[in-house]
Amino acid sequence: MLESRADSSPFWQPHDPEDEHLAEQVEHGREEHLLLDPLPPAENNAIVLESMNKTGKAFWMAVLGLGGLTLAFLATWIVQIFSGIGVTGLNRSVMWGPYIANLIYFIGIGHAGTFISAALRLLRMDFKRPIARAAELITLFGLAVAALFPIIHVGRIWKLFYMMPIPNQRELWPNFRSALFWDMTAITTYIIGSTLFMYLALLPDLAMARDHSTGWRRKIYRALALGWRGTEGEWHKMESTSNILSYVIIPVMFSVHTGVSWNLAMSIQPGWHSTVFGPFFVAGALFSGVAAVILVMIVIRKTMRFGYFLREEHFNAMGLFLLIMSFTWIYFYFAEWITNWYGNLPMEKAIQRMLTGDLAPLFYLMLFANIVVPVGTLWSRRVRTSLPAMFVICVFIQIGMYIERVVIVSGFLSRNELPFNWVNYTPHLPEVLITIGTFGFLALMYLLATRVVPIIPLWEVYEGQAMQATRRIGRAILPTRTESH
Amino acid sequence: MTKFMLLGLFDNVTTTATVVGEVRDLGIKDSEMEIMSNIPYASKIFGRKTPRQWFLPFALGGMAVGVLIAFFMSYITPRLYPIEVGGQGLTPVPPSAIMYFEFMALFTMLGAFVGFLLQNRFPILVRQMYDERITEGYIGVQVLAPSEAVMEQVVKVFENHHAAVVKREDAAGFPDQGMRHLLFWGGLGAAGLVAVLVPLLLTYDVVRLPWINTMKDTVVVKAQEGPRRAAPPDAVPIQGPVLIAGQPATERLPDTPESRERGAALFSINCAMCHGPAGNGEGVVGLKHFPETPPLDGERAAALSDDAIFLVITNGKNRMPSLAENLSPGDTWDIVNYVRSLGGAPAEAGQ
Repeated sequence: MLESRADSSPFWQPHDPEDEHLAEQVEHGREEHLLLDPLPPAENNAIVLESMNKTGKAFWMAVLGLGGLTLAFLATWIVQIFSGIGVTGLNRSVMWGPYIANLIYFIGIGHAGTFISAALRLLRMDFKRPIARAAELITLFGLAVAALFPIIHVGRIWKLFYMMPIPNQRELWPNFRSALFWDMTAITTYIIGSTLFMYLALLPDLAMARDHSTGWRRKIYRALALGWRGTEGEWHKMESTSNILSYVIIPVMFSVHTGVSWNLAMSIQPGWHSTVFGPFFVAGALFSGVAAVILVMIVIRKTMRFGYFLREEHFNAMGLFLLIMSFTWIYFYFAEWITNWYGNLPMEKAIQRMLTGDLAPLFYLMLFANIVVPVGTLWSRRVRTSLPAMFVICVFIQIGMYIERVVIVSGFLSRNELPFNWVNYTPHLPEVLITIGTFGFLALMYLLATRVVPIIPLWEVYEGQAMQATRRIGRAILPTRTESH
Repeated sequence: MTKFMLLGLFDNVTTTATVVGEVRDLGIKDSEMEIMSNIPYASKIFGRKTPRQWFLPFALGGMAVGVLIAFFMSYITPRLYPIEVGGQGLTPVPPSAIMYFEFMALFTMLGAFVGFLLQNRFPILVRQMYDERITEGYIGVQVLAPSEAVMEQVVKVFENHHAAVVKREDAAGFPDQGMRHLLFWGGLGAAGLVAVLVPLLLTYDVVRLPWINTMKDTVVVKAQEGPRRAAPPDAVPIQGPVLIAGQPATERLPDTPESRERGAALFSINCAMCHGPAGNGEGVVGLKHFPETPPLDGERAAALSDDAIFLVITNGKNRMPSLAENLSPGDTWDIVNYVRSLGGAPAEAGQ
């Protein structure tokens, strides 16, 4: 009975061994592994649905605070529209400032979502089961917020229609030979693909929500679930579609941040004109993205009481992932700098002022946050499974990666080939407010989404629980995984 | 004869598999049975065949649409409305590759998703046999019984295996979905197509609207329009060498043998390739020029004043580039002295 679960009873009914020693081990396995600790799906459904319905005092406080930030963002934007882009600190040489850095940053944190879902799905990594949807939501909202920044950055937004050739009297054409256009197509493809991918995996959970909710929620879920019943055909086709989308979306994911990096690398600006920028940006995006997913996991675990779903094993696995991404990022950053240093071109040397000049504090803070903090701590399982420690580490990484983008965009721009164009950049209040405000806006959208979207992919958890079992080897009881396909 | 639709709920896989086998023994075809669950169980677990599916045509069809759009974007559009960019053809390969990749990826995904919706006949707009406990982990077996007698037998099988719920209803209550989902997506797709095509008609000038274009009426453009105003009287004159009547362009160097010697060396570096080593206009490069490179030993050169020659070297003339960045004024005067020695009028002594 120990070797395999008795399949003539529901998968959520425990079979405790009679031997006390073994029973202890089974109990231990249950504490350690979500997939070995099945609850009746009715109870799990209730946990998720309750967390969605609950809007306590803290929730409304958060909505108020984040709503305030969003309002600050909108108000600053309106001021900027009325008084012109001159109210920002942007100048002739540093014409791309934090707005473009924010664009890169928000696309970056949106990267890990679909990667975790698609790549880990194809690799059949079980730890992603309860995480996938939280990560995918970051992708969607990250990309949505990122898409705001080109519009904020252009200044005269009432002339935005100049960029569209509709109708053609202005003879303006999207020039497909422009790096900006490559970037735009890549982001559009990614946002549409990610939405389809998320919606597909959401269908069974929408059906669950439809079956167990009332009122307006039931109506919405009923429409969105499209009549899903969970027949063999539906599951089988969902599986195939998810596979196709996964295989396609992984190269698209790589192309998105490569496209973003080409916006910089296709120019001849010293510091930007580098062939390593494509993979370097992808590595940076995954690095900050994984850290963002961990942050969200910690917050929803605390506030929505998901201790049952998000366990030490998940933080451990994500922490390792983060450590690997940190190594990757360090490698690329070093590769970029050493080429720069060895080439010894005068205009490229000017940007090495970061090591000693006025950007040095930011530069060394970035190195500390992106290298010392993760590499120095994440090797330890105790750190990886401690939520406060992980929270601090991930916040550090967000800061480090944000600085990296700002330094690359405005730092490098401030030293171009012509020394008479050299100028330093200091952010003015509008950039600061808009940047902070958009972080609030992203968090607000996410917060509201957690009350509407079942944030734990329950069917994936159930599938894992039904297919996981224990096997007795000698005196030990070890988890095993069954592959039914 | 009335047909009946039955649904039994079971709480585990093994029982469900047994029930499926026993129902099949009653003469009910696999296609008249349907299994519902909240977990993607593989069909072989219930001893059934994996359902059939067709994704290849959808994915390939989507990919083909993507290829067409990319072709339109990267080949047709630049030829309808060419934008000349220095050093690039109208359809260079690398950016085209990006277009093909992105649009193929996008439409492959869309095609697969449409395939998913159509094969499942989503959205289901008719009543279906279902029980909400299926999303609580129960496995539902839906059976279409051809007659009341068979229905009773199936119910017996369900009850023998302790089905949690047994539902039985007249099958007429569950009409076929038919083509409703196609109508739904067809209508939506047609609306979407119109929404995309109408702007495209305007964009590609198939339909022209008398649209007001104020782009050239901006403050920025007006300031650049003529006639150009005269410089104010107290304006500072242009810096650098200009020919002002009666004045030398810059302080000139006296025509000495040393100066000519330096000039000859500089001439061989900067001038000889076009004007020829002997200054007769038959340099290696100069012979290829049209209009042909003027000789420096003829009357034409003789007719120029020293200051004029200085300015031609400094500013360039016709095909001749400016050498201001290569030569200092002193170097230039050395060359002028040398050029004067080649023929034509003798150099003016001193200033």
